[in-house]
Formats: sequence, C-alpha cells, structure tokens
Amino acid sequence: MDAVFKALADPSRRDLLDRLYAKNGQTLGELCERLDMTRQAVSKHLAVLEGANLVVSVRRGREKLHYLNPVPIHDIAERWIGKYERHRLQALSDLKKGLEEEQ
Amino acid sequence: MSEPVFKPNTVYVTYIASTPDKVWDAITKPEFTRQYFFGHSVEVEQRVGGRYVLRTADGRVHVQGRVMVCDPPRTLSITWLVEGLDDFRKLPECLVTFQIDALEGAVRLTMTEAHSWDIPDAILSGGRQGWPVILSSLKSLIETGKPIIVKMAPPKEMLEAVKQAVGE
Repeated sequence: MDAVFKALADPSRRDLLDRLYAKNGQTLGELCERLDMTRQAVSKHLAVLEGANLVVSVRRGREKLHYLNPVPIHDIAERWIGKYERHRLQALSDLKKGLEEEQ
Repeated sequence: MSEPVFKPNTVYVTYIASTPDKVWDAITKPEFTRQYFFGHSVEVEQRVGGRYVLRTADGRVHVQGRVMVCDPPRTLSITWLVEGLDDFRKLPECLVTFQIDALEGAVRLTMTEAHSWDIPDAILSGGRQGWPVILSSLKSLIETGKPIIVKMAPPKEMLEAVKQAVGE
C-alpha cells in the first residue's frame, strides 16, 4: 500500500495515469508525445507505477502496451469506505457531476 | 476469412496471498464465483472448445462462451458473450483471459479483456466498473474467507452505447 501512495504522490506520474485513463493500452512512445519529459524519465515513472501495480504492461508482438490498473486503488477504497458510505459518496459524486455539467 | 485479431483493452492485476490451485478453483467452481461474482455461478468444461456459462442466482444465462485455452492452474481463456442484457448478444464476442502466475508466497492474477473490433470506451465502462470489484472481492474471499459485497447496476452510458453499436 505504501508503494501506491508513493507512486501517486508525484504529479508527473498522476499525469501518466490520466493519459492511460483517457486512452488505455499505450506504448512508451505514445505516452512520451506532447510531454515535457525525457523518454528515460517517463520510463522511470512507469517503472514506479508498475512497481505499485497501478500500471500493467503487456507485450504484443514487438510493442509493449501499458494499461491502467485501478485494482489497488479499489482495495484501498474498500479498506476505509464501508457499505453505508458508498451510496452517500455516490450520491455526492453524482450531485457534483450534475452541478458541474449545468455550468 | 482470417481469424480475428484480438487486442487487449482492459488489463487488471491483483496479487493474492494464495496458491495457483486455489485461485484456479475460485475462477472455475460455482461455490466460489457465487460469492464474489455478483452471485453468478460458473459452469466450465475444462477443455478447449468446452462451454463456459455464468448463471444468475435465478438460473438465467448471463454470460456464455467457449474455452479457447485451458491450462490449469495457469491459463483460462474464454470467449465472452453477455446474454443477460438487451442487445449485447449482437455485439462481437470478446476474449477474457485469466492468467495465474506463481510467485514466492503469492499469486499474480491477471484478467485481460480483448476485442476484435474498435470497441467504444462507453461499452468498456461496464467491465471497467465491474472487474476491479470482482477481483478485489475474489482476493478478499481467498485471503480472508469473506467476499466484498457491492451492489452495482450496469452504467447507463454503456447500455446506450451498445444500443447504438448494434443499431449501426
């Protein structure tokens, strides 16, 4: 669990997760596009994310594709969010979304 | 016609403090799936070409498929067709693979959902909402004897996207 929090503590790594959330299954090359980071830096961040099991890589032919893995975040949520809070949180989240869409 | 090429669109990994045999049983035996897979019972003929069915608690077929790879206790790959929701049976089958890797004192379970067509994200959202819950619950069941119970409805955007995809 420490590895997950440590991995999430860095804005560049959260940015990479956002990119995979927007488009899953990207290569290192695709992830480097329009980023102010060197290939090596992106590769290092991906290794930290993989170490925390937040990113999973799959070999497909000559390509290595990266996938967002939300399972550890779900495990963390399960630890502190009980069955009663879930519905309230969902309602709040829906309300927030609804209000933001109205703007 | 050539065989369709399946590209993974969703890949989830969970580490479970258990053995490959126990995780294999959890995936292939109804007494386990009933507890962590939204109450569904699995029926699987463990051979290539065998039938795979997920049945709801009231006996209806929810998912149906064929076994493509069966290598216990390592790999189970099945075609996956959702029968339990309107319009879904008109979609191309997807390929679901469970890969079990033994590590020291733990097991790495990888679930891959692969598709042979350019599937919209909205349709993927159902699996992306469901699988993390299913895998967390499976992990919890094996490690602690207790599954995680989460009630969930299929996302609206997914149902609309499926309707659109089959209507085209």
